[in-house]
Amino acid sequence: MMIRCKEVTKTFRKNGAEVVSLDRFTAEIAAGEFVAVRGPSGSGKTTLLLTLGGMQRPSAGAVQFGGRDLYGLPPAERARLRSGEIGFVFQMFHLVPYLDLLGNVLLAAPGRPSDAERERAAGLLDELGLGKRASHRPGELSAGERQRLAVARALLNRPKLILADEPTGNLDPENAAEVIRHLAAFHQDGGTVVLVTHGTAADQHAGRILRLDQGRLAAN
Amino acid sequence: MLRKGAEILLRSHILREIGFRKLNALFSLLGLMLAVTIVVASQLLAEADERETRRVTRDMGFNLRLIPAKTDLGQFYRDGFSRHAMEAVMLDRLATQLTNNVSFNHLVGSLRRDYTINGKDILLVGLSETYVAPGQGKKPMGFEIKEGTIHIGSEIARWQELKKGDAMQVGVRRFTVANDPIETGTPDDITIFARLEDAQSILGLSGKINEIEAIDCLCLTADDDPLAILRKEIGGILPEVQVVHQRTLADARAKQRQTREKVNAVVLPSVLVAGAVWVALLAVLNVRDRRQEIGILRALGKGGGRIAGLFLGKAVLLGFVAAALGVALGTWVVLEFGPSLFPVTQKAIQASSTLAWQLLVATPVFAAFASFIPAMLAVSHDPAETLRED
Repeated sequence: MMIRCKEVTKTFRKNGAEVVSLDRFTAEIAAGEFVAVRGPSGSGKTTLLLTLGGMQRPSAGAVQFGGRDLYGLPPAERARLRSGEIGFVFQMFHLVPYLDLLGNVLLAAPGRPSDAERERAAGLLDELGLGKRASHRPGELSAGERQRLAVARALLNRPKLILADEPTGNLDPENAAEVIRHLAAFHQDGGTVVLVTHGTAADQHAGRILRLDQGRLAAN
Repeated sequence: MLRKGAEILLRSHILREIGFRKLNALFSLLGLMLAVTIVVASQLLAEADERETRRVTRDMGFNLRLIPAKTDLGQFYRDGFSRHAMEAVMLDRLATQLTNNVSFNHLVGSLRRDYTINGKDILLVGLSETYVAPGQGKKPMGFEIKEGTIHIGSEIARWQELKKGDAMQVGVRRFTVANDPIETGTPDDITIFARLEDAQSILGLSGKINEIEAIDCLCLTADDDPLAILRKEIGGILPEVQVVHQRTLADARAKQRQTREKVNAVVLPSVLVAGAVWVALLAVLNVRDRRQEIGILRALGKGGGRIAGLFLGKAVLLGFVAAALGVALGTWVVLEFGPSLFPVTQKAIQASSTLAWQLLVATPVFAAFASFIPAMLAVSHDPAETLRED
């Protein structure tokens, strides 16, 4: 099993009141699965994704990644795991504005990019239709191109898992389908995808849909 | 620790970020540069001021005058020097007693007499080398007179139509004029300064001096009765002299020192604090601007060292560039405007390579310290908070 969540709860304090974002969430995701996570705004989808990615320690419960207690790992080890095995794609792209496209993809490399990593980054840009714009900056790209760039960055280290948070939320249907197609290709190559989405574009690829409501798993 | 490859990558990111957020970098650079310029200019000008004061009022620094005991003070004050002479070895005797425990320092033996050149009355002054307490390494008061040279006053230069480098006959000796004579409005304008042995030879007073000039330690307050202490200390070594303590000069000298200390104690720290606050504020703004970048770097597994390095590295780089520009600008200001402020010693106004090196090292460190808290804010920033912002 790639991911195992047991009774995962995450609470925040907001304006003095306690808000439960994830409420005793329990689920398992196998290696090679394509899982879509759905739910209304504020249902805890993003919190779940960040928690699965080792970015946000749960208030209670446990998250296992590849049999290891994710939050029992020292921070540096967790960072290494994130760098090597997990790719992130966000709705807002989160690209570095002063780096060119190649630089943004290579940002995922653990240290100084090797020749092989540079080659792979250039290959990914080609695959995603951005090869001719490798020296451009993200500000010069359309929203669809930016999201494809974020996908290329997520793929650089050949991760086992891609966590995508509403990657099509800011895209037109054509670009949304293009991004989903790339995630599906990653899945077909054996990768695991957890995709938070409002749309239905991924339905044909998702093997399973988790539905969240007020932080709880409403349907699996 | 960052690996070498990662360091190169960090440097490249820092440079690109500076190029991208030009205004933030420019304002940081200007703030640091201004601080460095003020430090350089104030230090060089303070040195120039001290040099000028020492030169223009040559005797001002010496507030202790040791003259032969039999000198009539009426004559001394009227003529400005004692008509009696004493053995120059007395200077050596006093110099051997110079330690950090006595209340006087900077001994210069002098032989001062009126003299006539081409029918004009002038003063001829012979000056010995300066003796200081061991280990103090202080610069000589006044100036050094090289062998075969003399320094002449502006009136003498005018009468004799002499300038720097010209030859001048004094008695049976021929000397080269070593200074650019400038009017000071003091008896220096009608004085020839020579080496002590040259003056002794010209005046036929071999082995003689008529005064030992010195300064007190400026550590004695009026309550200590400094004159009594100095008379006791000096009288114990040289009973043959009487001690004249010029309080006005002592006070003026103390005031000059206090002014410089005040500049060092108030102006410079204020400039440094203002510079640090400015750099820190801009660094905080930079951290705010880059929250998304910090978040994604965290998501990509980059550690705190790498993130802190982006901000501290930027500060160090800007600090270094600001130091280079600030030193250049501060030095230019002093070289450009210093000569009109300090005309007598204008030629001594020079760039200080020591100060430049110190600032080239200190400014990047200072900038890094100023950016330390913002960098730590960046490191401790919760990436999940940014990454969940839609």
